[in-house]
Amino acid sequence: MPERVVLVGYGPVGARFVEELLPAVRAGAIELTVVGAESSEAYNRVLVAEYAVGHTDRESLEITDPQEARDAGVRILTGTSVTAINRTRQTVTLGAGDQLPYDRLVLATGARANIPTLDGVTRLRRDRTRPGVDPETLDSADAPLPGGVTALRDLADAETVLAAVRGGQRIVVLGAGVLGMEIALAAARAGAETCVVYHGETPMARSLDRGAGATLARSARRAGVAMIDHSRAEGILFRTAEDGTRRFDALLCADGKQIGGDLLLLSCGVGARTELAALAGLDVSAGILVDDTLQSWADPRVFAIGDCAHVVSRPQEGAAVGTPSGAPSGLIGPGWRQADWLAARLSGEAAAPLAERAASVVMLKAEGVDVAAAGDVRREPWDTYTELGGRAHADGCATPSVAQWADPEHGRYVKMVTLAGILTGFVCVGMPRTAAELTLLFERGGELPADRSVLLRFDGPDYVPASGADAFALDATVCWCNGVSVGAIAGAAEEGNTTVACIGSATRAGTGCGGCKGRIGEVLERFAPVE
Amino acid sequence: MSIAPAETATASHCPYCALQCAMTLTDSAGAISVGARDFPTNRGGLCKKGWTSAELLSSPDRIVEPMLRQPDGGFAAASWEDALDLVADRLSALRAEHGADSVGVFGGGGLTNEKAYQLGKFTRVALGSSRIDYNGRFCMSSAAAAGNRAFGLDRGLPFRLEDLGAAETILLLGSNVAQTMPPFVAHLEGARAAGGLIVVDPRRSATARLTEDGAGMHVQPAPGTDLALLLGLTHLVIAERLADREYLAARTTGFEALRRSVGEWWPERTQEHTGVPVWQLREIARRLAAGRGTYILTGRGVEQHEDGTATATAAINLSLALGLVGTAHSGYGTLTGQGNGQGGREHGQKCDQLPGYRKITDGAAREHVAAVWGVDPQSLPGPGVPAVELLSSMGRAGGIRCLLVHGSNVVVSAPNASRVREGLAALDFLVVCDFFFSETAQFADVVLPVTQWAEEEGTMTSLEGRVIRRRRAIDPPPGVRSELWILRELARRLGSPSTFSDDPAVVFDELCRASEGGTADYSGLSHELLDSGVAAYWPYPTGSAGTPRLFLDRFAHADGLARIVAVRSRSSAPPESGTLTLVTGRLLEHYQSGAQTRRVPELAAAQPVARVQLHPATADRLAITDGAEVELANARGSVRCVAELTPDIRPDTVFLPFHFAGDECANLLTSDATDPVSGMPEFKRTIVTVRAVQRELSNA
Repeated sequence: MPERVVLVGYGPVGARFVEELLPAVRAGAIELTVVGAESSEAYNRVLVAEYAVGHTDRESLEITDPQEARDAGVRILTGTSVTAINRTRQTVTLGAGDQLPYDRLVLATGARANIPTLDGVTRLRRDRTRPGVDPETLDSADAPLPGGVTALRDLADAETVLAAVRGGQRIVVLGAGVLGMEIALAAARAGAETCVVYHGETPMARSLDRGAGATLARSARRAGVAMIDHSRAEGILFRTAEDGTRRFDALLCADGKQIGGDLLLLSCGVGARTELAALAGLDVSAGILVDDTLQSWADPRVFAIGDCAHVVSRPQEGAAVGTPSGAPSGLIGPGWRQADWLAARLSGEAAAPLAERAASVVMLKAEGVDVAAAGDVRREPWDTYTELGGRAHADGCATPSVAQWADPEHGRYVKMVTLAGILTGFVCVGMPRTAAELTLLFERGGELPADRSVLLRFDGPDYVPASGADAFALDATVCWCNGVSVGAIAGAAEEGNTTVACIGSATRAGTGCGGCKGRIGEVLERFAPVE
Repeated sequence: MSIAPAETATASHCPYCALQCAMTLTDSAGAISVGARDFPTNRGGLCKKGWTSAELLSSPDRIVEPMLRQPDGGFAAASWEDALDLVADRLSALRAEHGADSVGVFGGGGLTNEKAYQLGKFTRVALGSSRIDYNGRFCMSSAAAAGNRAFGLDRGLPFRLEDLGAAETILLLGSNVAQTMPPFVAHLEGARAAGGLIVVDPRRSATARLTEDGAGMHVQPAPGTDLALLLGLTHLVIAERLADREYLAARTTGFEALRRSVGEWWPERTQEHTGVPVWQLREIARRLAAGRGTYILTGRGVEQHEDGTATATAAINLSLALGLVGTAHSGYGTLTGQGNGQGGREHGQKCDQLPGYRKITDGAAREHVAAVWGVDPQSLPGPGVPAVELLSSMGRAGGIRCLLVHGSNVVVSAPNASRVREGLAALDFLVVCDFFFSETAQFADVVLPVTQWAEEEGTMTSLEGRVIRRRRAIDPPPGVRSELWILRELARRLGSPSTFSDDPAVVFDELCRASEGGTADYSGLSHELLDSGVAAYWPYPTGSAGTPRLFLDRFAHADGLARIVAVRSRSSAPPESGTLTLVTGRLLEHYQSGAQTRRVPELAAAQPVARVQLHPATADRLAITDGAEVELANARGSVRCVAELTPDIRPDTVFLPFHFAGDECANLLTSDATDPVSGMPEFKRTIVTVRAVQRELSNA
């Protein structure tokens, strides 16, 4: 008797889970049913912003072949909502009222865009006793956004933005998080007039320190995005279109400023879709609470993965329960690792414990503006500096060390936070090769060179290690094919070999690929005996 | 300068790598001197190895008579008669006692086509054993498997080498041609002049340096991330609408699955995994699609991995997505390394293969070849096991008890060298054919001295699939025999059916007949025709003029379409903190296990000992100075060598050449884990720790 697995949610993490489970499905060990609310099949949400500005096609967003899964025997119900989980009977209730039995239930319901409190916008109903029934309007059932206002989460949102970009409209992005900055930079690059409105001093404040944020803001302005800081949005002003509908006209800020535009793009973070779980009596915090085996705290038959999963150890019996630490990462990498791991476990493979990774690296997807960051980067170089410089004190605690490089004029900024030489956080703006190396070092826990500036030189124009060396040094190689040095050629020249051909006969220089004959001539000119 | 009449000049080719540079060998009073000869591949150039190659003919180390292991562990000379009788007796006895598959044969990618063919025939007909494979499993098997799967045919370069000259963009992944086959570099000039040479290598190798000064771009990914890099490039090609949709529709199948499979490799994620910045990825993708002649070439750096077949497939998929393969101006190729690495993989020394690149499991192929050999198809054994499995079965229950080694030095070249040494020591009987006491020969019971390249006739098939003639310029020392002669004598003693000629021209004719109708069809060729100077690119069926450029009209699958096989990159756990990734490779001065080049004084003087390259910042952390003695270690073994500090390598990577033996042998560290499709070992991503060796002060 195969085990019945029901997956709720067919986004990129759900799709990955399905793919990884296919061998067990084909082997007849697992009977898998997938219920997804979106009517389109799983696509790569990470690239929605690129699609929204027309940089890529809809089909480039596809990441899985549902037909392959169907051929393997997976039942896929798209455009279908789940309205209840009945844990005692081990069934889920579908939108139309059907009951679907499960032995294991995997929730990959993802997250929805946060809708901020603004005059003129009805806040999303957060009624945890009534999950959405209509799959088309799962997140906005009773409160559709007004015309000219959109979030950027799904394909429909992306198409709204795309129409605005193509129509040459002015776009106001509210929120300077990663997605807000990405869409603003991409829209500006696609030729749209774009501004970003945010309430703090610098953008991406969750991931970047002040220096990096300021550098990014500067680069964004240079890329044609108006960066409007210190602006707390309070309401929306509308205009009435010719057809009588109300459309967004301007964003109203607390200081009285009005920022006009044609499309307001809300980019104020996301919140996990947890109401199904909460309704079923599962523990919920920033997401559905699961332990490090992705099993829900309350029910060993229910699991959660991806943006809806809040991974934190189950509290000890009898221990006081505070607010659980952490939150879903909101990044795809950890979601995919969870999908891989859970599929292996449900397939009966002896999986090693889900490796605890360091915090994930956040990278801005924007052409020409390079930003990468990870870990805690708030510490400044002189904060509680001790001579121990990152080594453990006698009592066992350790102080992180900070090394920093700032060159705002050229849009470059790097901060490396280390503990005993290992990166615990970094931020890197405008230095792509350095960012790539720091990313690898961070993820692999590699020790940084004691001379941190080694890492800054990758992006320098001099980064051709030996190009600064003297091309006429006696030990510099001239002919690679035959391993002939300047010294050997100079020696042969002294012995009277004054032409490239003679040098070839005497030293074999230039007798391989022949590419160095020009250089042999130069060496000869310099070292030929003076008549 | 006048040439003395006593001198005779012979046109031949270099003994070493697959470029097979043309040489003129001049015999003056019994000593051979080497001259460069103009030829499309080497254009009159030779590297240091080629110039000095004749020195080995008269090397004092040369074995000039059969040597037999003595009870005291030493070796003593014996007559050919006695040595061959002993070998035949032992082979017969082992076979009678333990079955035909207790005898294994290990061939090499440096053997001529004639020898490789005869070795396969000898194993299956005279020994009746399925247990044959060769050292090409360590180099070409992944690219070969990928090529066969995608195109229905594997010819390293399915175009002429000189065609590269017209290209404006060449993407070279994991190949250091400037050191391994230097005259090749001349063919990169066109791309360099157009600023389009892109070299992917964790090291700033001599080849990577060719991209400097505006000639192109060097891309330096973390070792073992090539597959992710290729998937990321394919993602970009599709996302930026650079794919050739018309070509894909007309000439390939499987694109839809590829498109979906690379959906997860957007540039930022690719950067996160590879360390290659997004801007470089975008520039490469756009440059590759810019037209005007684009080639993608892979080498061992990306193929010698546990996922080597997948990586080569990803390179092929990228080439197909761009519409490069089978056109008049662009293409995909893999750079074969060993001298006859191409021919050596076509004519039956692979465990699953019969001559003509036929499958040994294919009934029609068995019938055809059995008919040429004059034996019953039923008598031919089935597929054997690939090299690493063959070697690890030595001395184990159900494994081989006897091994014949030809043109290979497995003690140095096979992965997990300690296990290979144990296995060789556990054999009942080991026969090695070589011209020197190689590290493998030192384990042998019988060592049979064989001819060197300038002492024999035959053919080689170069990296571009061109069949060329090796010619005899000098007589071998009196006690030395050709392998064809040895196989003939052994077959006779073993009472084998079929005939075994020792005349290379006759063997080649038989090879051509055996290959007829196969993928690698040589049936239109003969030594005589080759001597007329034709440029013979296979397939060369009877009545044709060969095939310089393959796939122009169709691929070799029955439907004529190329297969796009979507592959995935499995993320492996990141290396542990405090460890470094070891990559192995070659130096300009040495060739393969170094059995030959370490015996050329000029080459040995230039590179006398194994030196490990590491980054100065890494060395500083480990308190290692330039020239210091260091130890590289992991669970499999440890290597002692000398540190060479260079900023040309990534700080997380070390490089060690694999030409050295004893406790300098890089393969003491490598793993014998293999690619599931090709059987290729993982040579290029070995986790090691490195430390300075503390010299103890001696008070004695």
